[in-house]
Amino acid sequence: MADTRQRILEATYTCVARWGLAKTSVEDAAREAKVSRATVYRVFPGGREELISAVVGWATLEFFIRLYEQVQGATSLEQVMERGIMFAHRSIVEDEVLQRVMQTEPEKLLPTLTFESIRIRQGIAEFLVPYLEQRGVAQGVNLKEAADFLARMVLSYMSAPGRWDLDDPDQVAQLVRAELLAGVVAGPGQVAGPDH
Amino acid sequence: MAIRGTALQAVADVADDKAGGMLPSVHPDATPSRQSSPNRVRIIDATLACLALHGTSKTTVDDIARRASVSRATVYRVFPGGRDEVLGAVVDTEMARLFSALGVRLGEAGDLTEALVGGIVEASTRIRGHAALAYLVEHEPEMVLGHLAFDESDRLLATASRFTAPFLARWMSPMEAGRVAEWATRIVLSYAIAPSSQMDLTQPAQTAHLVKTFVLPGIRALHAADGPTAIDITPFEQGCGQPDRHAVGDAAHGRPTTPPDAHHQLSEYSNPVEQCKGATT
Repeated sequence: MADTRQRILEATYTCVARWGLAKTSVEDAAREAKVSRATVYRVFPGGREELISAVVGWATLEFFIRLYEQVQGATSLEQVMERGIMFAHRSIVEDEVLQRVMQTEPEKLLPTLTFESIRIRQGIAEFLVPYLEQRGVAQGVNLKEAADFLARMVLSYMSAPGRWDLDDPDQVAQLVRAELLAGVVAGPGQVAGPDH
Repeated sequence: MAIRGTALQAVADVADDKAGGMLPSVHPDATPSRQSSPNRVRIIDATLACLALHGTSKTTVDDIARRASVSRATVYRVFPGGRDEVLGAVVDTEMARLFSALGVRLGEAGDLTEALVGGIVEASTRIRGHAALAYLVEHEPEMVLGHLAFDESDRLLATASRFTAPFLARWMSPMEAGRVAEWATRIVLSYAIAPSSQMDLTQPAQTAHLVKTFVLPGIRALHAADGPTAIDITPFEQGCGQPDRHAVGDAAHGRPTTPPDAHHQLSEYSNPVEQCKGATT
């Protein structure tokens, strides 16, 4: 069942990449996955709508698995955030499927993606907690509150870099150390250059 | 998605007007290049009421005319483009009203903390209390979310920070003010899109806590990394973050207070340069 689900989702993603969200049907996904329509409906009783929500959730999760792998080797909170922000930014810019869907049918994607972002934010916050514990938070800072705030900001920069060049390691180091972590971590504000 | 683009462009145009160093005067019913008439405002406010009840898809020109107590012909005379043009004008007007109120709030602020807390509370309160926006988020999220993600979000950040940065430049360099304005906008948007049970940014005390805990240290560190100009971060005064409804109401009748030229006074609370010197060496 898990395998079938995975296969259908991968197939659906392929269809979305080819035709977009609106034009992907249950039939297309079934054909691409080489399963019957009935099988798709058995795994996704809500049909097309459920399938489309599920594929957005699945693609988002895949993205965060890659992001997680990318920051695994990092040794400090600063490094986790710098690597994470740079990788996430690159991945989003280079994700052709995401970019095309955002161009042509954002109204189909955004409600689901916004819903997903709540789960994502909790995931990022939970991921940051041990790093914050290890690093030590500043006096008077609540660990959970700080993790939630940082997760919100990471999501914000991932989605829209604004006036920051997130391909430039020096700028990202400044963003992370000055803007994001200065109030959060213990000890004097970290304003040195990036780890090399 | 007729609203997309036009609305934000209009606000961007408003923000552009101040490029020469002039402070913006965003007057809700006096957008320069547009026809200004009592009917215009009446139709826009009637449309807002319709949107709060039925959203965009079920609001017709007839509904709008009826609620505004004008004829269909009047609606089309003021807005020849019909429903789509009215909807575009509603977004423009609401953005202008928000920026107008923000301008008053930021202009009145006596110090940086007050400006940040006041601005964040003002924007959050207006977004939270907006009945039409709330209906759309609930029933037609695609109408709203398009402005809050990826490239469109970048445009919104740029517009909002271009408008608010000059007010913050009273306490820091223009470059720093741009960054801080953008940061504050991100904070408002994040908590507006996904409210937190712990942090309610419509509440001055909670917002002051957030600003003092996370934002002010960040500003000092940014500043230490950027250069030697002093930033004046005087302590947050009790009560200064309380929304002053009277002042907000005046937004529609007067120009926002013009911030004085940048004067950098160091208080003992904020000596970013001294505080961060130790950190950098």
